[in-house]
Amino acid sequence: MTPVPRVPERPALALGVPLRRAPLCGAGFQPASSEFDVAPDPRPRLRSSRGRCRALSRGLHGGLPGVLALLLAGWATGCRKAPESVAPTPAGGRLFAVTFQTMNNPFFVDLNEGLRRVIEAKGDRLVTLDAQFNSLKQKNDIADLLQQQPAALFINPVNWEGIKGSLIEAQRKNVPAIIVDAPVSEPDLVLCQVASDNVEAGRLACEALARVNPKAQVVILHLSVNKACIDRVAGFRAEAGRHPDLKILDTQEGKGTTEGARPVMRDLLARFPEMDAAFPINDPSALGCLSAIESAGKSGQVTVVSVDGSREGISAVKAGRLHSTSAQFPAEIGRVAAETAYEHLAARPVPKDIKIPVRLITRDNADEFLSPP
Amino acid sequence: MKRIFPLLLAIVALTILMALWVPQGRFLTASNLLDLAQQIAVNAILAFGLTLVILIGGIDLSVGAVVALVGTIAVAVLASAGWIVALAAGLAAAAVFGLVNGWCAANTRMPPFIITLAMMLVARGFALRFNEGRPLPIPDTERVFLALGNARLFDLIPVPVLLMLGAFLLMALLLHRTAFGQHLYAMGGNREAARFTGIRLARNEVTVYVLCSVLAGLAGIIHASQLYSAEPGSGQGFELNAIAAVVVGGTSFTGGTGTLPGTLLGAVIIGILDKGLNQAGVHFSLQYVIKGLVILAAVYLDVRRRHSN
Repeated sequence: MTPVPRVPERPALALGVPLRRAPLCGAGFQPASSEFDVAPDPRPRLRSSRGRCRALSRGLHGGLPGVLALLLAGWATGCRKAPESVAPTPAGGRLFAVTFQTMNNPFFVDLNEGLRRVIEAKGDRLVTLDAQFNSLKQKNDIADLLQQQPAALFINPVNWEGIKGSLIEAQRKNVPAIIVDAPVSEPDLVLCQVASDNVEAGRLACEALARVNPKAQVVILHLSVNKACIDRVAGFRAEAGRHPDLKILDTQEGKGTTEGARPVMRDLLARFPEMDAAFPINDPSALGCLSAIESAGKSGQVTVVSVDGSREGISAVKAGRLHSTSAQFPAEIGRVAAETAYEHLAARPVPKDIKIPVRLITRDNADEFLSPP
Repeated sequence: MKRIFPLLLAIVALTILMALWVPQGRFLTASNLLDLAQQIAVNAILAFGLTLVILIGGIDLSVGAVVALVGTIAVAVLASAGWIVALAAGLAAAAVFGLVNGWCAANTRMPPFIITLAMMLVARGFALRFNEGRPLPIPDTERVFLALGNARLFDLIPVPVLLMLGAFLLMALLLHRTAFGQHLYAMGGNREAARFTGIRLARNEVTVYVLCSVLAGLAGIIHASQLYSAEPGSGQGFELNAIAAVVVGGTSFTGGTGTLPGTLLGAVIIGILDKGLNQAGVHFSLQYVIKGLVILAAVYLDVRRRHSN
């Protein structure tokens, strides 16, 4: 669609003719949101029946090519819905919605699955939206969802301050909001918050370290903008305070990624020859740490403890490269959040703050976590 | 009117489509459409400024970072100096970035793409200096500042929509009713020819970049207010969404062609797509595909139309 205005009358002053190249010049043209963040979910979300899709296409047939492109894509989604089922499914039960700060992280994909399993088992449906770390997109997404009066809204906020406007709006529309995985600054505006016990995760990591090396000289690789990581480091420090011989040499930004942590760890290894332990706040940065240690020829001399329990992390634990990782259970967070919503909808009281326990994974129990669920 | 007719047609077609598609007729309601107007405000204000820049054959990639920087500066100043100083400081910072962009574009041979890419990094870096990159909350007592993004006139029309319409009127008058506006078309059409007719290229170019940056600053203030906080990391990719609105609205990337009403309608189209697809329950991965195809189709039609003329 969007046929574009004709070439406007050239102002009297313009003597020349404009270049007539295609306007697609420069890499800056693609909209930011044009990349896939996660493989498309094979299950269609749309409720419209095949007939309605056809009617739609017919109604707009002969429209502009853009509209056709839109329709085609729409048809592709809409009409995939259960082609075999003859009896029309009932109009879809209640609507639940979730918005994630990003879907480009297996953690949130698993969390989403946990939510969906509970919700679809009850014959209801879940709409998932990806904010792509953009708080304004998240705010707009939530406004769109609220217009449809969902039974409950699950939010994983991009910005724990910036979500406030959306929470006020949800409250005004009487839609219960449940925060998953990350805390918000105004807990009064939400029904409840469900998250890993990150303080405990950090504490477990330190405890595990102190068990093997009570005199450890540790560096911390932080991600200090993230509340969950702030909590992990707080837990680690609190536990470290109980071991007088354990010393924290320095805390540096590891960016929470493998490629971010690696150079930082290399610098730290050069700076502190006495360093014999490291606490990267998640598994990706732990992998970066290990890579730096191995390339510095210090394999086995530095004990690395981390938090996450990702497949890669557990594999590294099993291989003996990573000492331990405190596992989070994203699918469990999703399950508990969904069940809490149903409890609330059944007019039963729910707790305000739910912490999902974490578990320490070491070489002894790694296999138990690596087996498929 | 004739030039924007196809855009209006597209909007009507899309609205009908969404009205049928979104379950339970929840698209075509007054409150949903007001939401839509509010949601496009930031993007439309950015797109107004970019229209002028693209019209003269330039580009400004720094607007997204300026959104973050201005919001952060304004909120940082807010606590100590009140909202008037906060707005002034934010917009002044934006104007400085516009001046640098415009001066470099007018007086050096550096391409605007590179200049504004560099300034985007500078603005982002300055924004991240505040509060270690973490969001700065706006206290509830700052009622005027919070009203800019959240209040509604007569309990109905959102203030960001009023600001968007105000910016639209001002810029449309400037572009379509003044000699300055005519000069911009001339510069975009053929720069050398414009120079020989005595148009002051450098002065106009600097003005355009400053206007674009200041509008980005206004968008930044609305953005911060809407989020009840300034977020130094926000605004990434906003420039691309705004460019999409400009191009869908019929402004040519080669300069010399385009209108401000077209851009407003372009922003509306992008907004209807975002909202409608969300509410129709289309999986987010497919939403990107559809949006991309729509932009491609719009540009294709534009190119074809101009070649046939």
